[in-house]
Amino acid sequence: MEILRNIIALIIFPSGLFLLAAGMFYEWADRKLVSQYQNRIGPRWFQPLADAVKLLANEEVIPDGSNPALYIILPVVALAGGLTAALYVPMAGFPPVYSFAGDLIVTIYLLSLLTLCIGLAGANTMDRFSLVGATRTLTQLFSYEAPFLLAMLGPALVAGSWQISEITAYTSQRWLLITQPLGFIVALVGLMGKLELPPFDAPEAETEIVAGALTEYSGRGLALFRLGKGVEMVIGLTLIAAFYLGGVSNPLVFLLKTLALLLVIAGLQALLTRLRIDQTVGLWWRYGVLLVLVQWLFMIGGRMVL
Amino acid sequence: MKIGAMFGDVLSSLFMKPVTEKYPKVRQDPPKRFRGCIDWDAEKCTGCGICAMDCPANAIEVIVIDKKEKRFVLQYHVDRCTFCAQCVHSCNHGCLTMKADVWEMAALDKQGYTRWFGEAGDIQYVLAEPAL
Amino acid sequence: MQKTKIDNKFTVPIGPQHPALKEPAFFSLNVDGEIVTNAYVRLGYAHRGVERAAEERNWVQTQYLLERICGICSHIHSTAYCLGVEKLAGIEAPPRAQAIRILVAELERIHSHFLWLGVASHEAGFDTLFMYSWRDRETVMDILESLTGNRVNYSANLLGGVKYDVDSEQEDIIRNGLEYLEERLNYYLGIVTSDALFLKRTRGIGGMTRNQAEVLGAVGPTARASNVQRDIRVEAPYSAYKKYPVSIVLETNGDLEARFIVRVKEMIESCHLINQILDNLPEGELVVRMKRRIQPGETVVRVEAPRGELFYFIKSNGTDKPERIKVRTPTICNMSSVVKLAIGSQLADIPVILAGIDPCFSCNDRSVQINYQKRKKTLWTWEELRNYGIRYYNGNS
Repeated sequence: MEILRNIIALIIFPSGLFLLAAGMFYEWADRKLVSQYQNRIGPRWFQPLADAVKLLANEEVIPDGSNPALYIILPVVALAGGLTAALYVPMAGFPPVYSFAGDLIVTIYLLSLLTLCIGLAGANTMDRFSLVGATRTLTQLFSYEAPFLLAMLGPALVAGSWQISEITAYTSQRWLLITQPLGFIVALVGLMGKLELPPFDAPEAETEIVAGALTEYSGRGLALFRLGKGVEMVIGLTLIAAFYLGGVSNPLVFLLKTLALLLVIAGLQALLTRLRIDQTVGLWWRYGVLLVLVQWLFMIGGRMVL
Repeated sequence: MKIGAMFGDVLSSLFMKPVTEKYPKVRQDPPKRFRGCIDWDAEKCTGCGICAMDCPANAIEVIVIDKKEKRFVLQYHVDRCTFCAQCVHSCNHGCLTMKADVWEMAALDKQGYTRWFGEAGDIQYVLAEPAL
Repeated sequence: MQKTKIDNKFTVPIGPQHPALKEPAFFSLNVDGEIVTNAYVRLGYAHRGVERAAEERNWVQTQYLLERICGICSHIHSTAYCLGVEKLAGIEAPPRAQAIRILVAELERIHSHFLWLGVASHEAGFDTLFMYSWRDRETVMDILESLTGNRVNYSANLLGGVKYDVDSEQEDIIRNGLEYLEERLNYYLGIVTSDALFLKRTRGIGGMTRNQAEVLGAVGPTARASNVQRDIRVEAPYSAYKKYPVSIVLETNGDLEARFIVRVKEMIESCHLINQILDNLPEGELVVRMKRRIQPGETVVRVEAPRGELFYFIKSNGTDKPERIKVRTPTICNMSSVVKLAIGSQLADIPVILAGIDPCFSCNDRSVQINYQKRKKTLWTWEELRNYGIRYYNGNS
């Protein structure tokens, strides 16, 4: 029975096929919302699926001078990290499949494994565009992970635990958006930085370095990376909705809350210009951490007073 | 200095219909002066051939069967035409006009791209005689 | 693909195919981290032999060939050519035709600057401004389509006049469209000067002082953004600009923000000018008959294209085909400023700096052979070029 439950959890729900489908749905929702903000019709609902199918059918060209084993393994590791992280978050309103003390840290590490793999993949191919893109990806990972983690730790502090299921049990009774607004902002912006969405998409700036670290990827590798990014978006949205927007209790509430978050994120995407890499890093390394520390001050101060 | 100066526009776009025209389900009529394929009025033609001389793409050929009886055939290569309307203005007698409603001319083979204008008997005469 | 050098500097090639470029060109940048240390330009990928092809066509056909040198400044090429040929033939187009010519030229200027606004903001990463400005550009293109029958390559000129008239229905369409556009343009002027993140990408970047602009030979809005007073419509008014004067738009900073401001303000100025032309359109006929053979002579025409000064040299030898037409487009004057400004700036700013001069690579490919050892310039004739090609391919096949 245990084995059957594990297999279903890994392959169908909440990880595996359901998560891939959810990743594609959220990627489509993001593109559709951005295009609505820009006053045009966006892609049709099956566009990410069509992209994935077409890429899987493409020929994969391994460039000269790169390590073929690494070239093929890295996309698989990236997607595997994303799929594993879904086992610990309350996906689609159901409680997490596995849970142990300290799994918040493990989840966030697994999410950043994806970005790390993209950086390594870019450094592996001997192409100037990918090298510049890989440098930018790793720099941005550096400066957006830390504030995001600190913002996730805010609810963990007030809930008094590092276990996601206990934190969600605490936050489903009160909306931390109201008591920790700064942390919410930092978490949202940190998520946009991790996912390399505009205005923080300098690592994959199309007009400067073609496609950043993934320039030389095609076929299966590119499909896996893109699916991984979709998966990361779903998990990130779930975490923020669970922690700050009062928990996710059933699938309908999950859908509504994550789509509301996506509305705000897509709005920010449409509204702001892409920043240069030194501006993104310089901006958030200071203000992000500062905002989070101010938030913590308020929290701890509030606790001591009350 | 404000962050997000386009906020008003971006927010109101959520409630507006997109401006994209959903062609080909929705077609708009082209304006009156739109330059589509040409149309030839045989009555007024005198066979001077200025239209063929002035065409920048050599898309028009005037084939003279009999100048006194005013039997001409106009051979028009649609695939060479640039739709510049110079022939319309070069002609001193106003024989040529541009049809504003013929502009969706994509096809799968080149058969329909050479058009012949004139009397049916004249066109057959021209097509039968390759030496003309 | 070239191997990367190990000593901390490597070469990033931009082009010939690159998402930053709308047309092919090759920029080779030596980069140290994110700072560019050296830049090298190579052009000529869009060379089509237009000047040679013009010698095979008669005067009427050449106009349409020259109109298709560029898609967004097509009308001004055709206007310059018609002005030159009319000068050679010794006639002048009627006043109504001249007014309609510059009406279409100003509409084309608005259209070209809108296109540039979208493309430059796309290079900077601001996709929303790109979408909105291209949406508003559709209004101008609809006006031009109802006036001339086509959205690009308007073919509104004839040798000796224009083809199309502006009647009251057209006037209404133009005025309504311009009213909407002027309101949007004032809004864009506000955005370009006040959006904080956009200014971080444009203020202080690619700055060119007035002295540098004059030495490098910049023309058009690129020079006017550095306070160089160079506008052919003001200095040497041609055609009907003598009747409808234009006020020049200048900025002092010379950086990218100044170039944005200059172009948006020029668009607003063009709207006012078009309204002025429509208020005082002279009566008369549209075209004057011209002979098919032009008497021998040489002439030089300078007009103000949306990108700067456009220069035509036309030589005729008495037949009905031109002998020599030389076209010098403004982009090639501004290209040296890109190479100079690229050095020392960051890699992420290169596409925006390039877009800031409004490059039109399909305009700017001519071929001149400079013989370094003998220090002399020669222009290749057709025979020499053909022989060189045969030798090259026989030697390297």
